[in-house]
Amino acid sequence: MIEFTNVSKTYPGGVKAIDDVSLTIEHGEFVVLLGPSGCGKTTLLRMVNQLEDITEGSIAVEGKNIHDLNKIDMRREIGYVIQSNGLFPNMTIEENVMVVPNLLGWSKEKRAERFDYLMDLIGMPPENYRGSFPHELSGGQQQRIGVARALAADPPVMLMDEPFGALDPIIRSRIQEEFMDIQKKLKKTILFVSHDIDEAIKLADKIVLLKDGEIQQFDRPAELLNRPVNDFVSEFVGEDSVLKSLNLYQVKDLQATLDLPAVEGSPDGKVFHPHDSLRHVLAHLLHPSRQYVYVEGEDGTTNGPVSVEHIEAFVREITA
Amino acid sequence: MNTKAFIAWVVKITFWVLIAAFFWWTISNNLFSQLLENPDQFLGLLGRHLQIVLISSSMALATAIPAGILLTRPKFRKYEWIVVNTANLGQTIPSLAILALAMGFFGIGIQAAIFALYVYSLLPILQNTIAGLKSVDPAAKDAATGMGMTPAQILFKIELPMAASSMIAGIRTAIVLNIGTTALAYLIGGGGLGVWIFTGIQLFDNTYLISGAVPVTLLAITADQFFRFLQLFLVPKGIRKAQKAAAAAA
Ligand SMILES: Nc1ncnc2c1ncn2[C@@H]1O[C@H](COP(=O)(O)OP(=O)(O)OP(=O)(O)O)[C@@H](O)[C@H]1O
Ligand SMILES: [Mg+2]
Repeated sequence: MIEFTNVSKTYPGGVKAIDDVSLTIEHGEFVVLLGPSGCGKTTLLRMVNQLEDITEGSIAVEGKNIHDLNKIDMRREIGYVIQSNGLFPNMTIEENVMVVPNLLGWSKEKRAERFDYLMDLIGMPPENYRGSFPHELSGGQQQRIGVARALAADPPVMLMDEPFGALDPIIRSRIQEEFMDIQKKLKKTILFVSHDIDEAIKLADKIVLLKDGEIQQFDRPAELLNRPVNDFVSEFVGEDSVLKSLNLYQVKDLQATLDLPAVEGSPDGKVFHPHDSLRHVLAHLLHPSRQYVYVEGEDGTTNGPVSVEHIEAFVREITA
Repeated sequence: MNTKAFIAWVVKITFWVLIAAFFWWTISNNLFSQLLENPDQFLGLLGRHLQIVLISSSMALATAIPAGILLTRPKFRKYEWIVVNTANLGQTIPSLAILALAMGFFGIGIQAAIFALYVYSLLPILQNTIAGLKSVDPAAKDAATGMGMTPAQILFKIELPMAASSMIAGIRTAIVLNIGTTALAYLIGGGGLGVWIFTGIQLFDNTYLISGAVPVTLLAITADQFFRFLQLFLVPKGIRKAQKAAAAAA
């Protein structure tokens, strides 16, 4: 858990980078700090592990005010990943990943075991990479190692500053998915900086939208997209916000608002799975040759029909 | 074989032929006679030469490396330009002038020579220490700090290993220059192999000149090779491999 209480930060030059931010990130929650360049995302993140001083207010991690903790010790209990990976070129991959366990004085056996576990987790065979050096890896592999290194001592809290920002779009989206799988298993409390709204929507449990160091909205991605609280937010989420938000809803969410009868015989349209996204369904229905789709119900039934009007009604509801 | 490699090969062969010709000439003219006939005197001069080199360069190492480390810490960074410019000045003054100035302070003798050579060796070491430490990726330092390494751990585990290559190059330059320049110590009564070299010049006697100059040259070459060899041990394997890969890509 991370709690910001009335936190402000003014840099020595006089720039007020963070202005009275209060925010609670619950245990196991994945929160993305989102906003335009210079809005203070990095600053807010770096105050948590005391890489930047707090000018006013306080931050508590796992219930303890960071001000009362030893800086060095507390940093070892927080995972930290940065955009330019920051791997150490003089160390092997194993040494890089095991930096924090080494600092904590883990035994050799425990470290070796942990290394194998982490490499399996990020999908890189440990025996192939143990003795390699960072420059021998691709950008995507280096970033995976950066993530493994941050996870090494199993910290409850992770800070990630645009960790996938330097990767090309295809690799980035693959790593995002891998990382979501990892997060599903590990349930870390994550504070993640991004300036990419699509990345934020995809990854976040909740999004903090910042502007000039102030929180504009702190909400679930679907809420941010469909119920922006001010003009800045609606402009930031863009004109296609509704379409984007349909990614976040599944067929089963639509089903829950309707009472669809089971159909007899073979349906005259495609049958969707309850976990398919509504955007997918809408895209399918937009074709003039298709009028209805159906959805798989419980115990093998096929329910429907569903038309564009159903989705429109659903959108009216979620944006109301 | 490509042209580049061929040219390198020709140059190498020519070099060794010239060396062989040189030694054939010196030996057939009995130019090492001083060395062979007065081995005790030779060992005395060599010992003094080495003494000056070792003391002055150890002092330079002991000053320039800590200074370089200190001047790259955030607190002292603002003084870097003053120190480097001062050290630069020391390097611009001709070595003879430094010797003369040192003699002004210490009078004639080995102390003046050691001091002058110490000053003369500072800059290459200081410059390369600072350059090496500055070249360390700031992201690596930020990551290290963020993971909870102490400043000392960052210095010894990250910064110095990454700067080692540049630092050793600076030390090598300084010591090779130092060995050659120590031949001038004779001029202020410091002794060393310069004694024979300058005697040879004054008397037009090649036996003195060669018996003094050749050992100084060999000493410098040996030191140079020694530090190249040392790089293999002190520069971490990952850095050496990365440098090689970068060079191959260029
Ligand atoms: N060390 C510093 N000294 C002075 N001002 C700074 C410093 N670091 C950041 N700032 C200023 O603070 C503000 C917030 O910077 P910050 O790096 O937190 O933004 P950001 O949201 O992470 O931006 P980006 O998306 O470009 O990374 C900016 O106006 C920036 O110029
Ligand atoms: Mg930033």
